[in-house]
Amino acid sequence: MGHITVGMSGGVDSAVAASILVEQGYEVEGLFMKNWEDDSKYCSAEEDYKDALQVCDVLGIPLRSVNFAKEYWDRVFQNFLDEYKAGRTPNPDILCNTEIKFKEFLNYAKDLGADKIATGHYVRNQKLNGKIELLKGLDPGKDQSYFLYRLNQEQISTALFPIGNLEKSNVRARAEKLGFDIFDKKDSTGICFIGERDFKEFLQQYLPAQPGIMKTSDGTKVGEHDGLMYYTLGQRKGLGIGGGHGDGDGPWYVLDKDLTNNELIVGRGHTHAGLYQRCLTASNIHWISGEAPTSENLMGKIRYRAQDANCRITNLNDTEISVEFEDPRFAIAPGQSVVFYNGDVCLGGAIIDKAFN
Amino acid sequence: MYYFDHSATTPVHPDVLDLMHSIQKNVYGNPSSVHSQGKKAKSLIETARKQIANTIGANPNQIIFTSGGTEANNQVFWSLLRKEKKHVISNSIEHPAVLKVLSELSTHGIDYTLIPVNKKGRVSSINIQNAFNENTCLVSIMLANNEVGTIQPIKDLAKLAHEQNALFHTDAVQCLGKIPINVVNLDVDYLSLSAHKFYGPKGIGVLYFKNKEAISSLMIGGGQESGFRAGTENIASIAGMGLAAELATLHLENHVSELISFESHFKTGLLSFFPNVIFNGDMNNKLPGLVSVSLPGYRSDILLAKLDRANMAVSSGSACGSGNLKPSHILSEMGIDDKTNISTLRFSFGASNSLKQIEQLLSKLQSILTD
Repeated sequence: MGHITVGMSGGVDSAVAASILVEQGYEVEGLFMKNWEDDSKYCSAEEDYKDALQVCDVLGIPLRSVNFAKEYWDRVFQNFLDEYKAGRTPNPDILCNTEIKFKEFLNYAKDLGADKIATGHYVRNQKLNGKIELLKGLDPGKDQSYFLYRLNQEQISTALFPIGNLEKSNVRARAEKLGFDIFDKKDSTGICFIGERDFKEFLQQYLPAQPGIMKTSDGTKVGEHDGLMYYTLGQRKGLGIGGGHGDGDGPWYVLDKDLTNNELIVGRGHTHAGLYQRCLTASNIHWISGEAPTSENLMGKIRYRAQDANCRITNLNDTEISVEFEDPRFAIAPGQSVVFYNGDVCLGGAIIDKAFN
Repeated sequence: MYYFDHSATTPVHPDVLDLMHSIQKNVYGNPSSVHSQGKKAKSLIETARKQIANTIGANPNQIIFTSGGTEANNQVFWSLLRKEKKHVISNSIEHPAVLKVLSELSTHGIDYTLIPVNKKGRVSSINIQNAFNENTCLVSIMLANNEVGTIQPIKDLAKLAHEQNALFHTDAVQCLGKIPINVVNLDVDYLSLSAHKFYGPKGIGVLYFKNKEAISSLMIGGGQESGFRAGTENIASIAGMGLAAELATLHLENHVSELISFESHFKTGLLSFFPNVIFNGDMNNKLPGLVSVSLPGYRSDILLAKLDRANMAVSSGSACGSGNLKPSHILSEMGIDDKTNISTLRFSFGASNSLKQIEQLLSKLQSILTD
């Protein structure tokens, strides 16, 4: 049996992942990672560390800790800011997986003598014809393959995902049975370094805001915005537009960002045509197998919580693809990733640049 | 568990443990009470005060009990707020229980100068001399450094301070049981100690002061410790510390020669398979049994984890658990480059060790370093 380093976050998923490996007879050590230096009330790192320690005490395994705050800042957070500056909606968790968890953390664990690492991600991996495949987690509500689509063969084959075939409810039940204090700890949501704080307030500390006007697609001014970076395509809440304006009924949505004129384009109603696109172009392509899939007809997912949908991929050139969905998709946001699947198998994906019809 | 981290803390001496256990069980009186149970408790405290006083050559009425070295240091520094002169001289490799207190006090009108150390971690009289100004009221220099063990020329430095009409404090937390300490000989005005560094319990310490006019209380309350430290006394710990100090002094010579033999055995062995090793600190003025070694090409956190896996406890000055290891500020102040700095481990031997254990440590290190 090998020596496994489990990434322990202080949450219930990684705790149960570690417990399963212990049960299976591996030599297991926990490694707690701190990626953000923040003493404010919003940072839960110290509480999380104590939670991880209690879990490791119960399991009788050592817990070590490591700090990648500098690496995270340079390689994940800077990109996050750059993307927002460019009016896009980045997904830092995807980058965190490739740059930190499956690079820095992995290398550190190897330096410590680990044969493999393990995480509490809801995904599975399997060997097939000499290649390693990344599969969706069995719990359809928790599948996290979207966040891991940029991993390569080596990264996936060096990892174990012990809870990938479990339901979340089962994970919690196991945690309670094992006596982990955190069995009912709330799932973390949103971007880890922002935590519970107000997103606008957070971003303001790093990026200057340029307020401008909000208008409908026919050019009618309906309000003012605080800075384009604070808005995401398809966003409904927090627009601050009263009733009485413009065409039709229903709540207001963000349809588009006009970066040149610093204007936010909005429209009313969930069925507004401006919210739906069938096509997109994307770059920064990554294929898990190392090669583009041969079948052109695949399923594509345009954001973490979006449904998979039938689509066709066309190679535009070496670095760019065009994706055409059978049916229009709601609010395709540049900066997010489009991730492709063949059934449960995650094939890879790319970062969205543009959506159109 | 093979424990080579006695400078972090020591296991409690079995006799001390027995005494404390019996006191916790039998002596529950409040030392301030007038009945016999109270008096019994009171006399245990006064016995400990004498034991401590004897250990460092002080009078019992110059000793108060605190919660540890940190509180003792704090009491000295916060007392400065009542003084007219408000400048302090200290040095850059002090413990945070000095450096952070000074930094906090700077927001309360206390001004301070930190003088540098040389490559061996020693402060020089010249640097201290040059740091004095007309407002200097206190010089605080540790008796020996916790990371590299370098011993400072406290007697000379205290003399300098007195010539400038300043008082002198020394944090001697690392020293009891490793070098003789005599407050008259050193001629210091304040001295801090902590029991858990000399096989006593945690959470108890000592502040020695030459004159009671030069000290004020941090804890305000029931007037215990002659009004210098309020709060019902931690009798068992105080008595345990008294005994631990007495034992440490009684066995000083034997213990030191044992530490020296551990140290030389360890150094010779390490050099034999890792000739590039660097020993940090002042080899001619150093605490026995504390060995700071840089192992170029290695990272202390990885080495520490690998030793821990073999049940061997050591420590490193670099900020623990840091992927992007933060170099130890003490080693940086000594001019050690960052790469060497983060390759540094501290081995501190003590009464729980044997030559056989040192052998096992060497053999483990050899397998890690030649892997």
